[in-house]
Amino acid sequence: MDFIKVIGFKKSFGTKQVHSGVNLSIQKGECLGLIGGSGAGKSVILRSLIGLEKPDEGRVVFDGKDITDYTEDELVNIRKRVAYVFQGGALFDSMNVYENLAYPLREHTKLGEPEISEKVLTKLKELGLEGNDKVYPAELSGGMQKRVGLARAIIMEPEVILYDEPTAGLDPFNTVKIQEMISRLKATGVTSILVTHDMPSAFAVCDRIAMLAKGKIGAVGTRAELDASPGGIIHKFINGEQL
Amino acid sequence: MIQTFASSIGGFVLGQLQFVGGSTVLFLHSLKEALKPPYYPQLIVEQINQVGVRSMSLIVAASLSTGMVMSLQFGLGLEKFGAKLYVPKIVSLSIAKELGPVFTSLMFAARVGAGIASELGSMTVTQQIDAIRALGTSPIKRIVIPRVIACTIALPLLTVIANAVGTFGALTVGQFELGLDSGFFIQKVITTVKIGDYINGLLKTFFFALFVVFTSCYYGLNVKEGTRGVGIATTKAVVASSILIVVSDFFLTKLFWIIEKWIS
Ligand SMILES: Nc1ncnc2c1ncn2[C@@H]1O[C@H](COP(=O)(O)OP(=O)(O)OP(=O)(O)O)[C@@H](O)[C@H]1O
Ligand SMILES: [Mg+2]
Repeated sequence: MDFIKVIGFKKSFGTKQVHSGVNLSIQKGECLGLIGGSGAGKSVILRSLIGLEKPDEGRVVFDGKDITDYTEDELVNIRKRVAYVFQGGALFDSMNVYENLAYPLREHTKLGEPEISEKVLTKLKELGLEGNDKVYPAELSGGMQKRVGLARAIIMEPEVILYDEPTAGLDPFNTVKIQEMISRLKATGVTSILVTHDMPSAFAVCDRIAMLAKGKIGAVGTRAELDASPGGIIHKFINGEQL
Repeated sequence: MIQTFASSIGGFVLGQLQFVGGSTVLFLHSLKEALKPPYYPQLIVEQINQVGVRSMSLIVAASLSTGMVMSLQFGLGLEKFGAKLYVPKIVSLSIAKELGPVFTSLMFAARVGAGIASELGSMTVTQQIDAIRALGTSPIKRIVIPRVIACTIALPLLTVIANAVGTFGALTVGQFELGLDSGFFIQKVITTVKIGDYINGLLKTFFFALFVVFTSCYYGLNVKEGTRGVGIATTKAVVASSILIVVSDFFLTKLFWIIEKWIS
């Protein structure tokens, strides 16, 4: 059975229709790469999976439940299970790095301060950010903010992780680190969707790749399936051709 | 030409309707969410410090000078009719009933309204509000409600301070410029201003605080078009809450007056 399902997703902003019927399904434990041009609507799809955005038409199904019309209250239980890694980190700038990471733990668990501290410092270390716990987000580089954002998203050990361009703007070393992180999480059984422009990363960690173009999923398949269809839309996209 | 004029009027009306509808919805949501845990007492304390304690110097300066100027103006004006002795009565009554509450609220709208709108606006633009939601928590609970509680506590208290400081300013000018004995001044103030007048004024500021905080939260949370939108939202928040204060002042005064008559 499909773990996450998007059915006939349509969305317009003002007079501009961005999605004209997107269908997508993700299996449990799978990593799906979602690619597409800038402004194709990848972030909007990702946001709707946790109800940050509602489709004009169409359904979003999560673990057998139609969550399209869930209220903010009802969505809390979904959001505890699904982490969202924001494109720019979206760190709380009134809190330091430590407080940012501790936030979900304080809100959703009954852990005491020693356990919280241990979890936070371990996560920071895993992402190569040790020693930055007292620093405020404004003092971090863009790439570091991204990694702190990632750390905050995964600290609750979610079942599903939605990555919005986690490697964009990172240096090669950190890109590889994030790739490894995603693979490692996937190996523990996490289901993930990776929105990216970074094809090497997508090929390195994703089981299947879907391409969003002209408001629909233009193509979807495993690496082998895509390689078998040269001249397809994904090849054109990768080679920088006009779609 | 006529068409652009008509469409800009249409846009304006639409914007106002959105504001009224949106801020009412925000108000109702906040009421609903305020009843359910979790509560964030330490965020409320932080906000009281932010909106109340830090507004103190502005309020003190403004009310001191207002009281002094009023006393001087009335003193010089009434002196011609030999009615200088009425200065304490007139000044203290107008401070307690109108000037204290309304002036303080307008200052509050400028400082605190702008602060809230721009802070929430930046949080919206940098997706921090989305992040609060994505992490399974509520921006209304964490951001809006602490500010609402802080403002409704802080503004009446600031008004109490403003009234006292304003009256003190008037008294100083009375003593040194008008030659009114300060003992006489104080006695006149006490016999003129009834506790009801005083409470009326403070009660109004409770409503003014609600106008300021919901207006600025609404504009801040609905920022579009990036950083440019933050500036626009801030301006709109201050303008709208100031207008709401001065307009509702009339109706609140009238309403309280009716209630007062009805009670007695
Ligand atoms: N809140 C909004 N208001 C108006 N338009 C929006 C809004 N959110 C998204 N859009 C529009 O929807 C389209 C898709 O946006 P989205 O952010 O999903 O693109 P994307 O595929 O993630 O692009 P990128 O790769 O640049 O991040 C864009 O054209 C954008 O202008
Ligand atoms: Mg995007």
